[in-house]
Amino acid sequence: MLCQHCQKNEATTHVKTMINGEYAEYRLCPECAHEMGYDSMFPDFTADFGGLLGSFLSAALPARSGATHCKLCGSTMNDIKKTGKVGCSECYDTFFSELMPTIRNVHGNTEHIGKRPVIEYETVEDDKPEQQEDKKLESLKAELKQAIEDENFERAAELRDKIKELEA
Amino acid sequence: MSEAVVSTRIRLARNLKEYPFPIRLSVSQAKEIVDLIDDALKDCGIKFHRIDLDTVSETMKIALLERHLISPDFVSGEQGRAVFLSDDNAISIMVNEEDHIRLQVIRDGFEPDEAYAVADKLDNALSKKLNFAFHEKLGYLTQCPTNLGTGMRASVMLHLPALELTGAVHRIGANLSKLGLTIRGLYGESTKPIGAFFQLSNQVTLGISEKAAIANLKNITTQLISQEMKARENLLGKIEVEDKIARALGVLKTALVIDHSEAMSLLSLVRLGVASKKLNTLSTDSIDRLIVEIQPASIMTKCGEEMSPQERDIKRAEMIRERFQ
Repeated sequence: MLCQHCQKNEATTHVKTMINGEYAEYRLCPECAHEMGYDSMFPDFTADFGGLLGSFLSAALPARSGATHCKLCGSTMNDIKKTGKVGCSECYDTFFSELMPTIRNVHGNTEHIGKRPVIEYETVEDDKPEQQEDKKLESLKAELKQAIEDENFERAAELRDKIKELEA
Repeated sequence: MSEAVVSTRIRLARNLKEYPFPIRLSVSQAKEIVDLIDDALKDCGIKFHRIDLDTVSETMKIALLERHLISPDFVSGEQGRAVFLSDDNAISIMVNEEDHIRLQVIRDGFEPDEAYAVADKLDNALSKKLNFAFHEKLGYLTQCPTNLGTGMRASVMLHLPALELTGAVHRIGANLSKLGLTIRGLYGESTKPIGAFFQLSNQVTLGISEKAAIANLKNITTQLISQEMKARENLLGKIEVEDKIARALGVLKTALVIDHSEAMSLLSLVRLGVASKKLNTLSTDSIDRLIVEIQPASIMTKCGEEMSPQERDIKRAEMIRERFQ
């Protein structure tokens, strides 16, 4: 498809805008996108995040979890949208479904696969023994994935055996 | 590599589970966090100096910013902020910037693996003492969701005069976001490039491991440098360009008054000349050091804080003349 602005070059950038409630979509070539300020040369991502969130959410909707605000820090979804900043670690659980589309949009992924804290806290302290085992299994599997990616096969073999043991 | 890479930085964002993120933090909570981190750093094997931001002058803060030890946001902040610096200033830990902890390792040249190894080790030591906010799916939790996952920003400071002169750097910038990377000006987010210095860094932090993100950055950096080198070859054959470079050195050696932006563009040209072996003068390393020293607040912390802009420009010209003797 040709760029809708210059009608000359191949369009590679897809821009969606919402200005004063009017939705519009453009396909632009890199040059025109740059000229019109739609490229990522110097993006202020933090500042944009509120806007990004805003474009995904309608203000009136309560959180899917039913919560109006975060129990730990008192943030509402509106606060988060206004600032582009999340209030505390608990907010990520409270507003998980609301935040997810934007997180996916920013990162393209929604599953962490990097390192983990060396000593981990227990998320729920009164876990039943089976739940604890499930968690351990989950964390071992994540570690295994990482070990394979790092080509640390010795460690991967160890982890695989541990997982087998737990699953048996 | 040293022809085009000035330095490498690794930054990790971490938060304490028990406290709200900085945006919702009271001054007393913020101070508690600074003390907690101060304590945790005591047994990590590296000596740190604590600087409470509300106890130092504006000039001092800006000098720290000019050396990339703190961020622009951090300078204009509220009470309850502190930065911990290692003796050689290679490690800085900002407390209560956008996240409770912003751990940063800087190294000269292109050394992302070495820088990450230092950051990783310190992060492990801290995570044994502090309760980091971590989520099974989302990784390390951060105040801004753009840092979720690894919380890691790996960046290289590049000198790309030829790509800037030909305008190619803007075209490349537009395409980098597709590769999960971004290119910015000298002082990071939303700053303009000066003297053709750019920061290339990873944008995506969730769903990509630290190792893969660094490998990606290395790969793209190598490609960018090879494009820069090609562009330099084309440019440096031209007498107009070589003349510009030679004149730049002439001005630096003789000027009596020089403002920061003129000095930067001239030093940028001379750096290009040295790296391409067209000029025989200071090494690129010495030029890189000079670039740090001639920044406005860095001059003022060295020579007294009561300097007018003109006095500063005179001092700057003097420092440059001396160095190029």
